[in-house]
Amino acid sequence: MERRENQTPQGQIARVLVEFLEVAIASVVFLKGVYPSGAFERRRYMNVVVQRACHPQLRYYIHATISGLLPFIQKGMVERVAVIFFNANDVPLEKFVFMLGVNLSYGSTVEEVDLQFSLRSFLSKLSISESLTKKLPPDSRWEITAYFRSLPEAGTSKEANLWIPSDTKQWQQPPLITPIKSMNCEPLCLQLYLEHPCLSESLL
Amino acid sequence: MSLDSFRSSSAPNSKRTLSFSNSASSIRSNDNNSANNKRKKMKTTATNQKTLGVAWGSNSSSSSRKPPFSDFGSYMTEKNRKLHNQFNAEASTSSFSASTSGKPIFAGVSIFVDGFTVPSSQELRGYMLKYGGRFENYFSRHRVTHIICTNLPDSKVKNLRAFSAGLPVVKPTWILDSVASNRLLTWVPYQLEQLPNNQPKLSAFFSLRNSKMSEDTFTNALCQVEPDIEDSSARVGNSKDRYSSDVAKVVEPSWQITIEADDVVSENTDAIMMEEQLTSVGVKCDEEDPVGGSNDAAKDVMNFQGELKPNNEEPSTSVTSLCSNDQNVNEIASSSSTRPSKQCHSTLSDPNFVENYFKLKFGICNVQSSRLHFIGTWRNRYRKRFPIPSTGFDNEISNINASTVSGNAVVIHVDMDCFFVSVVIRNHPELLDKPVAVCHSNNSKGTAEISSANYPARSYGIRAGMFVRDAKALCPHLVIFPYNFEAYEEVADQFYSILHRCCNKVQAVSCDEAFLDVTHSKVEDPELLASSIRKEIYETTGCTASAGIAGNMLMARIATRTAKPDGQYHITPERVEDHLSQLPINALPGVGHVLQEKLKTQNVHTCGQLMMISKVSLQKDYGMKTGEMLWNYSRGIDNRLVGDFQECKSIGADVNWGVRFKDMKDCEKFLTSLCKEVSLRLQSCGMQGRTFSLKIKKKRKDADEPAKFMGCGDCENLSHSVTIPLATDNVEVLQRIVKQLFGNFYIDVKEIRGIGMHVSRLESSETSKQEKYNLKSWFTSGSASMEKQKHPIGHDKQNMDGTSVLESSALQGSSVQMDNNIQDNQASADRISTPPPLCHLDAEVIRNLPPEVFSELNEIYGGKLVDYIAKGEGISESSSSLRNSLLEQEAINKKEELLDVEPIPQKNPLTKIEAMQNEAEGGEAVPDSGSGPSFNVTRNSSFEKDDLLPSSLSQVDGSVLRELPEDLKAVIVQQLPAHRRQEICSNVALVPPNENLQVALGVKNSENPGSTHVLNESLWAGNPPKWVEKFKISSCLILKKLAEMYYKSGLTSTLSSVLYQIISEFHQLNLAHQISDDSVNITCELLKQYIKVKIGKDIEEIYICFRLLKRFAAKSHFFLQVYNGVFPYLQEAVDDNYGGSLLITR
Repeated sequence: MERRENQTPQGQIARVLVEFLEVAIASVVFLKGVYPSGAFERRRYMNVVVQRACHPQLRYYIHATISGLLPFIQKGMVERVAVIFFNANDVPLEKFVFMLGVNLSYGSTVEEVDLQFSLRSFLSKLSISESLTKKLPPDSRWEITAYFRSLPEAGTSKEANLWIPSDTKQWQQPPLITPIKSMNCEPLCLQLYLEHPCLSESLL
Repeated sequence: MSLDSFRSSSAPNSKRTLSFSNSASSIRSNDNNSANNKRKKMKTTATNQKTLGVAWGSNSSSSSRKPPFSDFGSYMTEKNRKLHNQFNAEASTSSFSASTSGKPIFAGVSIFVDGFTVPSSQELRGYMLKYGGRFENYFSRHRVTHIICTNLPDSKVKNLRAFSAGLPVVKPTWILDSVASNRLLTWVPYQLEQLPNNQPKLSAFFSLRNSKMSEDTFTNALCQVEPDIEDSSARVGNSKDRYSSDVAKVVEPSWQITIEADDVVSENTDAIMMEEQLTSVGVKCDEEDPVGGSNDAAKDVMNFQGELKPNNEEPSTSVTSLCSNDQNVNEIASSSSTRPSKQCHSTLSDPNFVENYFKLKFGICNVQSSRLHFIGTWRNRYRKRFPIPSTGFDNEISNINASTVSGNAVVIHVDMDCFFVSVVIRNHPELLDKPVAVCHSNNSKGTAEISSANYPARSYGIRAGMFVRDAKALCPHLVIFPYNFEAYEEVADQFYSILHRCCNKVQAVSCDEAFLDVTHSKVEDPELLASSIRKEIYETTGCTASAGIAGNMLMARIATRTAKPDGQYHITPERVEDHLSQLPINALPGVGHVLQEKLKTQNVHTCGQLMMISKVSLQKDYGMKTGEMLWNYSRGIDNRLVGDFQECKSIGADVNWGVRFKDMKDCEKFLTSLCKEVSLRLQSCGMQGRTFSLKIKKKRKDADEPAKFMGCGDCENLSHSVTIPLATDNVEVLQRIVKQLFGNFYIDVKEIRGIGMHVSRLESSETSKQEKYNLKSWFTSGSASMEKQKHPIGHDKQNMDGTSVLESSALQGSSVQMDNNIQDNQASADRISTPPPLCHLDAEVIRNLPPEVFSELNEIYGGKLVDYIAKGEGISESSSSLRNSLLEQEAINKKEELLDVEPIPQKNPLTKIEAMQNEAEGGEAVPDSGSGPSFNVTRNSSFEKDDLLPSSLSQVDGSVLRELPEDLKAVIVQQLPAHRRQEICSNVALVPPNENLQVALGVKNSENPGSTHVLNESLWAGNPPKWVEKFKISSCLILKKLAEMYYKSGLTSTLSSVLYQIISEFHQLNLAHQISDDSVNITCELLKQYIKVKIGKDIEEIYICFRLLKRFAAKSHFFLQVYNGVFPYLQEAVDDNYGGSLLITR
């Protein structure tokens, strides 16, 4: 079944994207230093050095979450995937937002090489983006949240049931955005930016 | 573990086969004694050494024997002289026979072959002989012109100059291609791709081409080595004497050494190395002596020597004399058995001794009597016994030879008939037509599984895998035998000895099944060969075998199906389709239950029906690989080659039967022993692994006690794995890891029904990473396991439950081989210590050396170094001034541009820079340190304008670019348009790229009047965008500059690139004081439209632009106005799209 879907460009893209997100999110988590750096190992992905989580549970969380998104990405339902870092009081401090746009009507085949070329730049940019981010207080935690364009109807599929509405606390003010990287490589448009709480809010 | 009682009677056979294939047709003499000398091992090995020594004496030259050389140096000089003479003599003889000698294309070329190459150094030498080149056995900077090698270890790559002395390091395909095209090709494209100055992409391209070339060459070179088997093959084989075989077996290590030595000699003709090997043999024998504790070392060496002499009298090349030595040893071994007076009671000669030793020492392992274990460990043993020699035909194997596949290839598949049964009952002729099965238990009510049943039993419906009680129900008088692993091993080894003797391309599938590729053997009728093989198998082992003959492995196997039992069947290419059309699909390898069921739903039952389905739809339904396999197989297409060994990817052990734990302690104990077993298996393969996975079969909640006694029943499979950074085979590490892994399961030990542990990401245990590369090519040939092992010699003594006698002895043998290889490496490392030529020294480095090192170096170069450095100063100065002059060029350039708005040609400064870069490169000077990676890219592109640069500026990371110094940025940006010729050409009607800037302006200017009225539309529409033209004719200097910068920025149509350009000329812009509201407005409009275009897809671009604008705004009133004008709009747009506001930092 998976194979058949992969033959459409969207399926192909979704597959590449999911794989990429998995790597990128691991890199983000590494970048933020939530875990000691020993919890990660150097790997090569798309020929750039990335960090991969060594701990099986951490790896599983990222993997399972992102692969759970696969069917929805294919359908173009996922608008954003955010890696949110919270402080001890569950107040979000920083969000790494991947904004996805998959052109569903795109028909011709996708050159995976081109795609990889573009995605690679995210990973290399990400690895030098530490200065853009804010230092996390101790005891912070993080989670992966996906923003859907429309809520998948529960019960329609097994995957849909896995997703629960998030009770993440929202910021009162619109956040400050710091773009990190954007790419637009038909039919995929991907942007990565940081969201920080508004200055007034972060003082609270 | 079942191997500790291993016996075989065919070891000498196999060894002989080996040495034959290595040493061409040197063996003439033969004797009909079976090698049943059980007392002479010590002597044999001793003689072996002696013989080799003699061989060297006789081999070195026919000229007068000189007194021992005074020192090593003079010995080498003499040796080199002799080698040259030898080479010259051979060259002159080959040139006389016009048919063999070719055009002297390699005149003036003198090669030195370093390390393992494909083709072997001997073949290269042959080419050199034939085509007028020279071949150096020892590296010398003065005599060698090219170094040939396929692979370099990392250390040599890093220190290339020290290694190559500045000579070109070329791949062997250079020679092959030169020969193929019959002229001396330039070696440049054949440079070793490992060398850092080559791009990896190129190398991929070349290697592709090369492999194709070498394929061709190999078809020619195939089977130059034609083993001279016929007479000698009949020799042993049928000996069933245990003792004799054991003798041979223990002798084996030394045999292997002889063979290895043989290789080395044929490659290097290096007497020193031979001696080293011989001493290491000696060491090994000594090591084994105390094992026995026997002290009888009476050796009648002289006697043997006397026997040897007649054979060595004739002057011969090293290879042949060595082989005759092998022969001699055999003869001695056999002849001495007839003289009991000369028997000696050496440890080695008492096979039971070592055997008992192991038994006593290791006890009996619980896995010992498992058929699975036997099969599982069989392959390792097989590989050790029948290693594929590293020179000679493994080249054919490792190279995919298309003609073999498609052409008239002939493959024979030989399969023993119900192996496990027939081996057991071969000594019970009365049972021949009675139903017999093999099973580990004879309990007629038991749930033991039948592992094999003979044909009479099969006619009762008894099948392998049946429970005994069911089988007994079907056939009450079924005779059940237990396994007899010793016999299996013995027969399997006999079986393979026969196969290896009859064919030099044997691929073992299992202990009783193998493929032979007889395409290139000189056999007229494969059917005849097959029947002779079968006959021999029957005569030797007492068991029958069936054979299938066809054009490929698939069809051969299918043919065997028809042939069974005890028959043979030939599927000629014409009959393939007939045969396949009615064949049920599950007869195809790779079609199992699941696939069969799936195909059945499509109403496909036979291959004929499968043939109807198109490849595309098969691939769609079953996946790319499976689909293709089905499509191919249903047509009888099989591209696998006989001898394609698959290197094992993981090593492990699973126990799924009899696993019942009372408590954690039980379980831990079990895990500990499992680790031990896995570690042993790793060690016996010479592997270490990094990833460890523990698999657990857990009883399902609702599952009943399994039908099979102590079986695993219905289980969930759980697994956890962990990867560690450093490969290991250490038991303790394994145990620790396993304990940790086990902890991850959170499982009640009582529910565990099976545990398996596997190690993957294997690395060979003794090679460092660099050598792994070298060995990679060997792995494919299957000789890997031989080469990779390294065990401390005494290892097996302190060790471990159940390494077999053979295993241990083979290990020792290989460890000695390894040592030899190491020595070999060291020797070659010593050879290359000549200093590199002066011109290759890096002046920069030299200058920074500590004074004492410098003076030492200077001494080596006889004082020339000082002069060189003085000269080098000039060169590197010019290189360091490169950057300054670059800056100057830019500055001049810009000034001129300012003076007259018409930009001056960019060509000159660019080419000047290029020239300077070239100069800098040529002088090997270090480029200025400030350059950074992107500068390097630019530099490269000045050499060859290929696709090194990204296709457009948008792919350049803006923030990186920004951090670069201005001048570099300018260079990069200017490089871009030149690089993207296509784009520009389409934009500006076919203007040569170097001049595109100014001509483009011209063209656009002339077009302007016509296009002005369309400008009401979006400013960003079109290419170049409309605003460019509009701004260009504007009176405002800043707008003009923007338009100009657009062209300069590489026509990428991103605003950020334009703004980047502005930075470099910002100070000039600031001079313009008069700002009209109009120009601010139009710029605001431009930005707003840009935001509109980009906000949805590329917020990064907007972010960059506005960060730049903010920077500009701090200095320029104009930009401040623009920034303030657009900023609210920007934030609004961002809020709309992203639900936040853009944080713009400077």
